Amino acid sequence: MTKTTSILALTRRRFLGGAAALSGLAATGWTGKAFAQEPEKPAEIIVRAWGGSWVAALQAGVSDPFTAATGIAVRHDLTEDNEIQPKVWAAVAQGRVPPIHINWDTTTNATKSALRGVTEDLSDLPNLANTTELAKPVGLEGYPIVNTYGYVYVLAYRPSAFPDGAPTSLQVLLDPKFKGRIALYNDGIGFHFPAQVAGGGSLEDIPGNMEPAWEFIRKVKAQEPLLGEDPDFTTWFQNGEIDLAVTISTNAREAMKNGIDLAWTVPEEGSKFETDGLWIPKGLPANELYWAKQYINFALTVEAQQVWLDGLGLPGVVPGVTPPEGLAGDPSYPTEPADFERLIRVPTAVQVEHESDWFGQFKAIMQG
Amino acid sequence: MQTSKQAYPFRWRVMDAVENTASAVWPSRFSRGLPYLMLLPAALLVLLLVIGMIQIAESSAHRLDRSTFLPSEDYTGANYSQIFSTGLYWTVLWRSLLGSVVVTALCLVFAFPYSYLMVRTSSPLLRKFLLIALFLPFFIGQVVRAYGWLIILGNQGVANGLLGLVGIEPVRLLYNYPAVLFGLVQYMLPFAVLMLAPALAAIPEELESAANSLGASWWRTFTHIVLPLAKPGLVGAGLVVLTLSLTDFAMPAILGGGSQDFIANAIYDQFFRTSDQGMGAALTLILVGIGSLAVGLVFTLFGAGTLAMGRDRK
Repeated sequence: MTKTTSILALTRRRFLGGAAALSGLAATGWTGKAFAQEPEKPAEIIVRAWGGSWVAALQAGVSDPFTAATGIAVRHDLTEDNEIQPKVWAAVAQGRVPPIHINWDTTTNATKSALRGVTEDLSDLPNLANTTELAKPVGLEGYPIVNTYGYVYVLAYRPSAFPDGAPTSLQVLLDPKFKGRIALYNDGIGFHFPAQVAGGGSLEDIPGNMEPAWEFIRKVKAQEPLLGEDPDFTTWFQNGEIDLAVTISTNAREAMKNGIDLAWTVPEEGSKFETDGLWIPKGLPANELYWAKQYINFALTVEAQQVWLDGLGLPGVVPGVTPPEGLAGDPSYPTEPADFERLIRVPTAVQVEHESDWFGQFKAIMQG
Repeated sequence: MQTSKQAYPFRWRVMDAVENTASAVWPSRFSRGLPYLMLLPAALLVLLLVIGMIQIAESSAHRLDRSTFLPSEDYTGANYSQIFSTGLYWTVLWRSLLGSVVVTALCLVFAFPYSYLMVRTSSPLLRKFLLIALFLPFFIGQVVRAYGWLIILGNQGVANGLLGLVGIEPVRLLYNYPAVLFGLVQYMLPFAVLMLAPALAAIPEELESAANSLGASWWRTFTHIVLPLAKPGLVGAGLVVLTLSLTDFAMPAILGGGSQDFIANAIYDQFFRTSDQGMGAALTLILVGIGSLAVGLVFTLFGAGTLAMGRDRK
């Protein structure tokens, strides 16, 4: 899965965030003096991240303040999450030191790594005590992953194409006037579950009977949708190729910030809610493992989450984070139980087991 | 009278030492083995490839256990069964094969007059222009070129802009099969020209002059003299374009809009999107098999072309 949006200059935000995070570090007693008794510091730690504004937000909220406090440089490896996975798996299987210290990953992908046994347990992170239930990976022993925020696959649209107001239902994807002007992820991620509802099916039937989803997707296929990754959506919107797309709200928000005429909504069928997290591969030297854990522990502070997630426009896992301007009450920024009523959550274990089949089925329809 | 030191300079002594060392390491009686020694690096590379293929074959015989995301212990042909029983893979295989054949045919058709003009023109300026036009695309990578087409052929691109000038509404020129084939032809054309030009240059121009002076029409000269003699070049160019097109990843991914995958895209999905290395390995072997069969078929029907390395010469 690609998460790349345009590179934004977060200089001011980065500066303010760094200052705030440093004060946060001091407030939690995490100071340079405290580190004097800690294991030897590595020269750097490597964090795999998504590019563009995703990595800029991480750097501003977590990496830079961590470096300021510890003196340990943080290098961001922008290898795709799907592409780093086999490299990490191979390194662990061969007893080599893995190529990264921390993987910023989707929870579904991270769960695959946890099931394979290549993740370190993070249960001993002190700041886990301050997190919400969202931080805990469901169906796994301990904390092989720490979820750090949630996100929504919204229905993004070009307002000029909807003079009567925002679309309310996914049925709009079947409107002949949008033929060839809609976009989905090329594996259908984020769309399978809402399509199940739009096709007249029930979420309770997932994964046993998803024929309603496939039937709806077959109808969408007749509309000749474009299929791609996040950067493609931005390009297509910018070039006037599409009017509608099911995409992560962060990408829609960044595209809008870049001057693209764009808005988003959660349709009546609901939108998929998902989480991302951080995890550490096995095989690191003990001191590097310690500092990698400290990095994740710091990412779970209010100060770090505030700046990091302000950049992403996403709800975090630590109480006390203030929503970014304009996102309070937005359906893509759920914080209260009522906010989740229109969002679709399917257990990670079910997704991990069946995701390949869903991808395959979606591709079979779209490639046919 | 010269001193012995002047008569036998130092550098000669150095050369003697080098020669003696070389003789000690590789005595002259081994000289017949020298060509084989020079083959050694290439043989090692092929050996590495073979080892890799064996590992891929081994990997393809294991199913992914989704409870642990590890390959199963037991050997099975389940990955192959799934591939051959899934319509998606048949679609992708057929699309790749058909696409590579179409691209090869178009490239040969377009490359032939280009190459012919390049080697036969009496104008040095035109020859230089054609050479520059040929090599310029090599300086631009495939991905960049594909993105260039996105700009040119997009809804708001140059092509639709020109259509708009004559009152035609924007047309979807991208994200379909013809767009992928178009991109591949543009990418492969220089390879075809490069393979074809030496073969055409090797045809004596006097043969064509003789045919003309004996009353043969241009078409008859072309079909009876030029084309048969250009066959090795056509076969060589065809093989290169066919195999490169069959295994291409970027053009279907970028110009296909996600719905025109070739086999390489399906392999990528298995390795990196669904973490199923066994299935990815099985698809890889099938791709290698199809490519080898296609090359074998061309060899059988048309000979090895320029790859025959003069075996047919008498």
